Amino acid sequence: MRKMSPSLRKQQMQYLSLVLPGMIIFTFGLIVPMFLSFYYSLTSWDGMTVEKPFIGLGNYVKLFSDPYARNAWWFTIRFTLWNTIIQNVAAIFMAVALDSGIKGQKLMRTIFFVPCLISAVVVGFVWLKLYGNVLPALFKLMGLQGSLAMLLGKEETVLQGLLIANNWQWIGYWMLIYLAALQSIPSDLYEAAKVDGANAVRQFINITIPMLAPALTICIVGITTGSLKVYDLLVASTNGGPGRASTSIIYYTYSTAINGRQYGYGSALTISVVFALLLVAFLQVKVLKKREVQM
Amino acid sequence: MKKFVSLLLAMALVLSLCAFAQAEEITLRVLAGQSTTDAGIEDMIDEALAKKYPEIKLEWECVDWGNDFQPKMQVYMQSGLPDIMIGKAQDVSTYGSLGLLADLTAQPYMDNILDAAKEGVTLDGKVLGMTFNCLYQGVYYSREIFNELGLSVPKTHEELAAVIETLKANGITPFASHMVDTWSIGNVTMQFAVNDVFNKNAVWGDDFRAGKVSFETSPEYKTAYEYNKLIYDNTWTDETFSLEQTACDAKMVMGEAAMKVSGSWSIQNFLGIDESYDFGIFPFPNQTGDAKLLFEPNITFMASAKSEYQDAINKVFEVIATDKDLQVAIYDHTMTAPMVKDVAPTFANPSQTDIDAYAAAGMIQDVNLGNNQLVWGGFQEENAKDIAEYLQGKLTIEEVLKASDARRDNSK
Repeated sequence: MRKMSPSLRKQQMQYLSLVLPGMIIFTFGLIVPMFLSFYYSLTSWDGMTVEKPFIGLGNYVKLFSDPYARNAWWFTIRFTLWNTIIQNVAAIFMAVALDSGIKGQKLMRTIFFVPCLISAVVVGFVWLKLYGNVLPALFKLMGLQGSLAMLLGKEETVLQGLLIANNWQWIGYWMLIYLAALQSIPSDLYEAAKVDGANAVRQFINITIPMLAPALTICIVGITTGSLKVYDLLVASTNGGPGRASTSIIYYTYSTAINGRQYGYGSALTISVVFALLLVAFLQVKVLKKREVQM
Repeated sequence: MKKFVSLLLAMALVLSLCAFAQAEEITLRVLAGQSTTDAGIEDMIDEALAKKYPEIKLEWECVDWGNDFQPKMQVYMQSGLPDIMIGKAQDVSTYGSLGLLADLTAQPYMDNILDAAKEGVTLDGKVLGMTFNCLYQGVYYSREIFNELGLSVPKTHEELAAVIETLKANGITPFASHMVDTWSIGNVTMQFAVNDVFNKNAVWGDDFRAGKVSFETSPEYKTAYEYNKLIYDNTWTDETFSLEQTACDAKMVMGEAAMKVSGSWSIQNFLGIDESYDFGIFPFPNQTGDAKLLFEPNITFMASAKSEYQDAINKVFEVIATDKDLQVAIYDHTMTAPMVKDVAPTFANPSQTDIDAYAAAGMIQDVNLGNNQLVWGGFQEENAKDIAEYLQGKLTIEEVLKASDARRDNSK
């Protein structure tokens, strides 16, 4: 076996000393709780007593027959899909508009970005007030029925109401990522396309979109995972209601484990969410990276 | 000169001894689960404590009782409880049964607490909490509207139906409500249940767990759930699931609605919006026409059984139970009723005459009769969500009752 030179060993020790703090935090802050959570998911622990009765896979069996978990997943999936579509499309178009050299670009960029600096709890509360008080009053002034604006109060419209609030907050953030990507596209590509007679639409489809592919990957994965984890917006606006109409899987997990004192079952829900998130992120990155290479 | 130096040295010695002899400062950790009415009482307690026991300091962690108290307690049960916990009387049965709370039975300051306040916090003969105030629950009504329309307080459902009809005929919404807050549905449902279910069987919740009774087979509980529909059909139906409490109370004070099934927590809003607002209270009528006004023992001080500062905790509790100025200040601030003997708040509560009349007639009932048997988190709260779905037409009443039965294991 070749002996390591003192300088190489010193270098490796330096690397280790840099990596170690992060590794320790990651291990004790994430890996250990994950294993603990898996252990709790095999028990019927209520989160308060000393005893943690072992019940095997009972909680996982319950998970598949639980209509509330099914409803929570269904809401979360719809919320995620719509967010991913709306935020990406809107952010790309807004970025293209701002990149076209219109007047007041910097001011608009700032205005669009500001909402994402606000806490989701505040956003939820603000939109609850808007839907509950401000907009109905405006509607009445315009001679319309005030209740039309109360999107959060009806099961049929609560998703739309939350999507508006969530997109209002986040479109500006993703827009900035697309804007940065747009500004890195070499202008000679567009000039060459113009020479070849390509109009603005063809330039957008054949140059802009392919060149935005890496940013698209980042944004789609970010929006999807963020939407799958939605919680604070719901706490501040609908409390998961009316009834359970806007209960996301994370909200359901928390209320089951903590308020409902079913820590064991809540842990099983947590494990299922982690696996779902990993699966979605893995599939997205794999598919989108492949597309990036093709483009 | 020598004498002067000796004197100085002696003085320094005496002063340092005095400083050493001064009581060591103790800091007690407090977890305060607060209702909307309670924010701010921590400063009042700090001030009163500093006057009598300056060596004791309180390190406050104030959280919302409904959403955060239980989660915090779960965390602290793993990592170590705070020295003092402030919750509601119903918390005593939850945490006292786990052996977490210190026995306050023999403490002299407990003599200052009303006997009625001790019943709900006594477990196996031990008083495990010190209840400080109470909230009255029932139907708050606008005296002005009732007087204008010549309405009298309804005692039966027929009378209530007549009141509703008159109000509607005059363009007034009968009930104010804010069903976006699931807790308000849960709260009113327990109000209905106490007067229609628990008045007939005081151990209905225990019988439910023992499998002797069920929601599905109980016509009384079905009726209690259905009263929510009566409220929903006679409130601002389009708005109630978008309206939070403050906006709802404001609309009532503005005269848009005449009644609200609620509790004393609404008084702060009523009088905050219009200090001359005149209102009374009556119990929501039950099927037998003998409904009682409900009271809920509210702010309850509990001590950790494992705290090493039991003496200091008792000093804090003694201040709270004996300092009249502090008590009046808290009652006036929270606009709630005392559970401490010989203290009267000075704020003008327009509904006090009604409360006194029901108390004099013995028509008052502790709502914890139901709350102690059927817990809020995981049971009442989930049932309330089902009721909301029933009101929105997503579930039938039978499905709601069946869902409540399915939660039997989570009811305590």
